[in-house]
Amino acid sequence: MEPLDVELEDGELELPNDPMQVLMGPAHPAMHGTIRIALELSGETIRKADVQIGYLHRGFEKMCERGTWTQCFPYVDRLNYASPLLNNVGFALAVEKMLSVTVPERCQHYRVALGELARICDHLVCLGAMAMELGAFTPFLYYVKARELIWDVFEEETGARVTHSFGRVGGMALPPTPFFKEMVRSAVPAVLALVDDGEKLLLKNRIFLDRIENVGVMGKDMALALGWTGVVLRATGVPYDVRKSHPYMTYDRYEFEVPVGTRGDCYDRFMCRAEEMRQSARIIEQALDMMADDGPVSIEDPRIVLPAKDEVYSTIEGTIQHFKIVMEGIQVPAGECYSYTEAGNGELGFYIVSDGSGTPYRVRIRPPCFASTQGLERMIVGAMLPDVVPTFGSINMIGGECDH
Amino acid sequence: MSGTELFVAVIKIAIVLGFLLNMAAITTWADRRQSAMIQDRVGPNRAVIYLPAWLVRAVVLGGGVLVAAAIAVPFWAKHPGLESARITTGIEIAILVVWTTLLLISARVRKDSDGVAPYRDGADSAFEERVAQLAPRTYFYAGLIAQLAALFFAQLAPAGFIVRGSSFGPGVAGSLAALAILLAAGYSAGRVGEDPVPLRLAGMLHALADAVKLIWKEDLRPRGADRLLFALAPMLAMFPALVTMAVVPFGSTLCFIDFDRDKVLSFADLAHLAPVVGPSGACSAGQLAVSLSIANLDVGLLYVFAIAGTGVIGAAIAGWASNNKWALLGGLRATSQMVSYEVALGLSIVGMFMVAGTVNLQKLVDWQGQNAWGIFVQPLAFVLFLVALVAETKRVPFDQPEGESEIIAGYFLEYSGMKFGMFYTGEYIEFVFSSVLLVTLFFGGYHLPFLDPDGLRITLGSDLIYELKLTHLAVSAIHIATFFGKTILMVWLQLFIRWTLPRFRYDQLMRLGWTRLLPLALLNIVLTGAAVLALESAGEPLGNAVAIAADISQSLVALAALGGSVLFVTGLLEPSRTKRITASSAAQMALAEGGIRAGKMQA
Repeated sequence: MEPLDVELEDGELELPNDPMQVLMGPAHPAMHGTIRIALELSGETIRKADVQIGYLHRGFEKMCERGTWTQCFPYVDRLNYASPLLNNVGFALAVEKMLSVTVPERCQHYRVALGELARICDHLVCLGAMAMELGAFTPFLYYVKARELIWDVFEEETGARVTHSFGRVGGMALPPTPFFKEMVRSAVPAVLALVDDGEKLLLKNRIFLDRIENVGVMGKDMALALGWTGVVLRATGVPYDVRKSHPYMTYDRYEFEVPVGTRGDCYDRFMCRAEEMRQSARIIEQALDMMADDGPVSIEDPRIVLPAKDEVYSTIEGTIQHFKIVMEGIQVPAGECYSYTEAGNGELGFYIVSDGSGTPYRVRIRPPCFASTQGLERMIVGAMLPDVVPTFGSINMIGGECDH
Repeated sequence: MSGTELFVAVIKIAIVLGFLLNMAAITTWADRRQSAMIQDRVGPNRAVIYLPAWLVRAVVLGGGVLVAAAIAVPFWAKHPGLESARITTGIEIAILVVWTTLLLISARVRKDSDGVAPYRDGADSAFEERVAQLAPRTYFYAGLIAQLAALFFAQLAPAGFIVRGSSFGPGVAGSLAALAILLAAGYSAGRVGEDPVPLRLAGMLHALADAVKLIWKEDLRPRGADRLLFALAPMLAMFPALVTMAVVPFGSTLCFIDFDRDKVLSFADLAHLAPVVGPSGACSAGQLAVSLSIANLDVGLLYVFAIAGTGVIGAAIAGWASNNKWALLGGLRATSQMVSYEVALGLSIVGMFMVAGTVNLQKLVDWQGQNAWGIFVQPLAFVLFLVALVAETKRVPFDQPEGESEIIAGYFLEYSGMKFGMFYTGEYIEFVFSSVLLVTLFFGGYHLPFLDPDGLRITLGSDLIYELKLTHLAVSAIHIATFFGKTILMVWLQLFIRWTLPRFRYDQLMRLGWTRLLPLALLNIVLTGAAVLALESAGEPLGNAVAIAADISQSLVALAALGGSVLFVTGLLEPSRTKRITASSAAQMALAEGGIRAGKMQA
């Protein structure tokens, strides 16, 4: 019998222990928004992560330089397809800033109400998808049902359910329908009730809490250094909300609070989003109360806003006005400006340059997701493979705006 | 083994396999349908078979005639001493059929209070209109009262009223039941819709159509995959799931009269089921026992663990052979998870063996029938066993081996076509079998509280409260129905778990298994051992107290089951109160057109 303490050469009988390289995405179920993370795993612990974006690059900025200013609206719809109306309003505000015009107050309240509904949609999608990816399917269905109620309102108002292209420079495409207030007032409480139902299933569930607490932690300073904005930043404890810090439209006239987190983990991001939905509901309520039942929604400037259809068909002035805006575009004075709003994921900025023609010279977008996705690598290195799922879900990366 | 025994074994195998495969299809359907139901949208309901109306009528009518004959004929046979019980049974069946039929007609015809009846047909005749005047719930309550009344009035009937030894009374009662069934079948046949009649089985055909589709799909094998192991893995995964059920008894032991007196079961004996058996359920001398499990093994549960434990091999091999890193991760997870939870699974049930003193499932079930259900004897073990069982079947919240958002589909990621279908079916069969195991170990198997092999007998300690003799055939039929019914209830419970809970992280799952479940299972063994020893040494008085406690537990189960079913039916028959937001122009247009009628494919 051979002695047991026989000298083995180093590594002769050892199994190879190189770390495993796997590519998570772009066609991975959790990598919605098409992103790829090149992972180096030791067991299931992530040693290295390389977040690679760009799989949804559609040349949005270049496309905007081809048409008129108005023709950009369908493109901005598709930036953050979870809340297109916020993008519409953001872009409209940017062009209006260049033109130095302000839309009527009724339109501002209307924009706020629609925008906050879109924000609720955005958060519903994010929270629902996050829960679903952790295996909790039923809350996701509750949230999607709630979104359906809001989409019914959108369908009635804009004619489209997902990509509305409803914003216009100097107003909105159409005035609110006569049912608008009634519909929103009946839909929002139903939405909040569904949100409560979903939360009851999730936040009293030890498994769910274990999955999101102290997972994907991001510090305050690092978040600021990375240029984070929006919910993800507020979850780390920085109370920066464009609607409060730099109020635009009528946001300074509503009473609402900005929820902030303390630890910056997935739980905080979840709770901040959930609370923001309730604050949005408060804003919607106030906006509806303040919104006049009649009055113009668009400014009365024939160089910017299309005339009514019957005028186009019956008067020569109307025909010419229509022709000029459609064929040449709105003449935006030469110059440049940066306009920013609080979109679903954070500060959505448009830096636009005009050469005085009817076509944008340059449209540069500052997407909130681009900054937050930068931080993903720092959050997941050292964590386990399953932690990528709630972390990535909670920053709500939207490929459309990230790969601008 | 005689030819007859072989025949009986084949029949039993067919019943078990048929049940497992059908339940696999139904649970697949239920899993997929759940989301559609919550969301109130169209579910998977596309598969349809069109049948000519005459065929449907013939099936409904012919089935009715067959059932009626099957009920009426045995009632004319003579069973001395059972007249009263048989009359009661016949009348009960008749009443049940009558009120169920009226309820169904009312539910089908009656309009809601707002006149919008999305799923309703409308009355065909004046009779239906009159039936629909009362709400379905009214029929349910009235039927319930009538059944209870019949039960007690039949007991009150004077003894001289029933002619002992005559089959006239039971025969008339049985014929009454048959008449009710014939009427109901005839009415249903007359109400079959226009030709051709679409058969959707509430969408369950869809799951079957999916299986047919899978068989014809291309069978892809990834480059670099191990050809042999890749093909072997799905079989290894499906096989144990199918064979584990062999030792589970799905009904009480049947006793046949040895008609040709050769002490061997022959076809002639099969036609002569013993009319009655004793209160213990054991067959008397000269009778031949046929156990309703495919193999009544003494190692029972050990066989189940041994075979179920091999299920992991399929997953591990699939993960390895696929030549895919995600699949490998899934296979690794499956292996470690199932090995870890197997320990807790096995240890949690040891307490039950100690109490019942056997691992033979037949004896375990009988012990529960005579004493108390396992869930009352071993409540902690039940919780541990349930958790470990969900982990063993790899379902949410323990579905890490296939967690679709993390490692895509885990070990069967690279499988397509029917190989994927085999994993899928195997998994669902395992899921159904886990419910079978729960029922057998903790919910008394095929037993119902107070239903002894010779009839219904409600006791408390040694006091007899109520007694109703039943034939062997009736009790056996109730037992088989009870077993499968309980299994379906357990499946339903597990479906709820799956659709409610998120999944654990891998390390949390391991920690739960080794640091919580395992110590608790060991603690349960210690506590049970102490309790068993204490009971044995305490003697008579404590024993009596335990017997009374067992009877109380049985009555609790009976009350809970009765209350639960009443609540369930009441809930099902609740008048629909759909609150629709009708502010949008589309909704208002639809309302002006007379409301929305749900489409045929709506969930």
